[in-house]
Amino acid sequence: MTLVIDQVTKRYQDFTAVDQLSFTIKKGEIFGLIGQNGAGKTTTFRMILDLQETTEGDITWNEQPMNKVNRDILGYLPEERGIFPTMAVEEQLYFFGILRGWTKKDLKKEVDYWIKRFDLEDKRKAKAETLSKGNQQKVQLIASFIHQPEFLILDEPFSGLDPVNRQLLMNAILFLKEKGTTILFSSHQMDNVEELCDHLCVLKKGASLFTGSLLDLKEQYGKIKLSIRSELEESQLNALPGVKRVKKTKDGYTLLLENELYGEQLFQILGKGKYMEKFSMDYLSLDEIFKDLVGGEHV
Amino acid sequence: MSKFWLLATQLYKQKIRSKSFIFSTLLYVAIVSGIMFWSDIKAAIFSEEPLKIAMVNDTKQDFKEVFQSDDDVKFSFPTEDQATIEKQIKAEKLDAAVFLTEKDGRLNAEIVTYTPLEFNDQTKLSSMIQYAGKIYAVQQLHLTTEQAAQIIESQTPIHMKNLDMQKQDGKSEDEKAAGIGASILVGSIVYSIVISFLSIITTDVASEKGSRVLEVLLASVKPSTHFLAKITGTYLLAFSQVALLLVVQILLLLTVDDGSKWKKVAGVIENLSVSYVVYTLAYLILSIFLFLIVGALFGSLVSKVEEAGQTMMPVMFMGIAGFYVLMSGLYSPDTLLVKIFSFIPFTTVMVMPLRIGATDLSPTEPLIALIILIATVVVLFYVSLSFYKRSVLTYSSGGIIQKIKTVLKVTT
Repeated sequence: MTLVIDQVTKRYQDFTAVDQLSFTIKKGEIFGLIGQNGAGKTTTFRMILDLQETTEGDITWNEQPMNKVNRDILGYLPEERGIFPTMAVEEQLYFFGILRGWTKKDLKKEVDYWIKRFDLEDKRKAKAETLSKGNQQKVQLIASFIHQPEFLILDEPFSGLDPVNRQLLMNAILFLKEKGTTILFSSHQMDNVEELCDHLCVLKKGASLFTGSLLDLKEQYGKIKLSIRSELEESQLNALPGVKRVKKTKDGYTLLLENELYGEQLFQILGKGKYMEKFSMDYLSLDEIFKDLVGGEHV
Repeated sequence: MSKFWLLATQLYKQKIRSKSFIFSTLLYVAIVSGIMFWSDIKAAIFSEEPLKIAMVNDTKQDFKEVFQSDDDVKFSFPTEDQATIEKQIKAEKLDAAVFLTEKDGRLNAEIVTYTPLEFNDQTKLSSMIQYAGKIYAVQQLHLTTEQAAQIIESQTPIHMKNLDMQKQDGKSEDEKAAGIGASILVGSIVYSIVISFLSIITTDVASEKGSRVLEVLLASVKPSTHFLAKITGTYLLAFSQVALLLVVQILLLLTVDDGSKWKKVAGVIENLSVSYVVYTLAYLILSIFLFLIVGALFGSLVSKVEEAGQTMMPVMFMGIAGFYVLMSGLYSPDTLLVKIFSFIPFTTVMVMPLRIGATDLSPTEPLIALIILIATVVVLFYVSLSFYKRSVLTYSSGGIIQKIKTVLKVTT
């Protein structure tokens, strides 16, 4: 076990920001914390970083309380970008590296590598405030892990990035994982979470709705999403056994089933033993599960 | 390098290289030098011809001894008639003419000009004429030269004797004058530091908070380290500016006019007592610390840098109030207002040196003020630090009271 959050609560005078939250992250794992705005993600991060105290519960890193942990093993990218606006890119990276205990000489290789990898070579001497939002985010991300932290926290690292830069960041995160960095991150974009995370925790109003592996979560729901191409009307499909909801799509219908056991029966009814162009039973996407968990609609 | 020094030097390097700081420092040095050396600058730039004044004396008395020419005024004693002299004035060959006549046993003077004299010149000329008038009046009594000199030069020597044994060690007039002079200097330095460095530390903390870089920094360093580093960095910056100012002034004093001004300054310093210097330095060091603590705290309270100016107004007013009380005390350093402000920690540094230097106060008073100041710095440091830890990550709108309420609400 590396990071253990045990029954953590953060209570203010008139509301509870985090309620009895528990999860663990193993070494070298990418863990996703997902939830709507105000669900308590940033508060959780701040408590892990010892920026805020917990009201109840314990947070430990390798069985050591967080406030006793050497800060230099931590890396943090806050949700709202935090870099010195008037400092040059290169100077900024050196500053944050030295702040975490590195020497300028040792940092040079790292700084050069990441500047090249993130295509910032021509921006080395540019002030951060003159960069585009995407480039600022790249600088910010490099600054958060330039010191090769053991544990990296990324709060919404993909927000506001174009698909190319998003992929660049995603690859960098996977690269860090390969090197053994333990990563905790939050995102509103579920496709990123799905692609990166081994385990996740879904938060709603400070409380955990689910904690575990992504596969477990999907299996908990089962393959209840049925995509078909059919000549039947929507009302006729709605009347079929085990069907909770029907949604017309560009390419046929998507049916939400009560459980995946109805699949076989529906295959018989819809196909009548004949050839069917499309009949596909799938897990719900994380996006759909998330909406279902936090009270929205899915399918 | 420790994290503390990294943060402190980062602030220091960033600010000392900024154009606004360089410009304001140069401007500050230039203004202070300009005031200190105004007479030399005036002489160098505006190398005016001395005023040409004709003294037309219609009395039997000789006034050549009174109206002696110097760098500013050149007196002549023509014998032409009034019309000729006035023609010369109209032709601007003369700047003025003074016609001295006798009327009812007294000296009567008429100053004739084409362009009215400047205020300073007129005052100088008037006092010379008054002096001549006195001599004339004395001469009418037909006294000997010694007797006349005795009347005109007479001054009553005043000796102070205080029966309270503790207060016998009174200050001489020279010491008091030196105390007032040095107090103006200290007051001006503190005033300019309060205004510029309070603003520097408040906006620096506010901009780090506003740009959220503070969250990243606080993930690496403790808030107390960050807080102290900000104060230390700004302190070093203030120290550099004051040191530069002093070095430039000392060099100028030593070199300009073969160091004649330096002798005057050295004379003032010699007249300052040891306790004055020690207390003033202690007040100065502690007070800058005090204002910077409050500046950092206020910077942490605002959500963005734009709000910093409005938040630091109350502290700025304390500085301004102290300066005004100092100015009011230059003429009467014993008033109740001056006494009260000399014990208020935010204004002690501006007002108490004046009292130490220019009045005979009991030795316990500066000590009490120092103890109050130290206690305030210590208490305010711990209160600010505890508040800083909680306010740096709290974002809220509204006035300063509202911000404090929000911090207390979300962190307790």
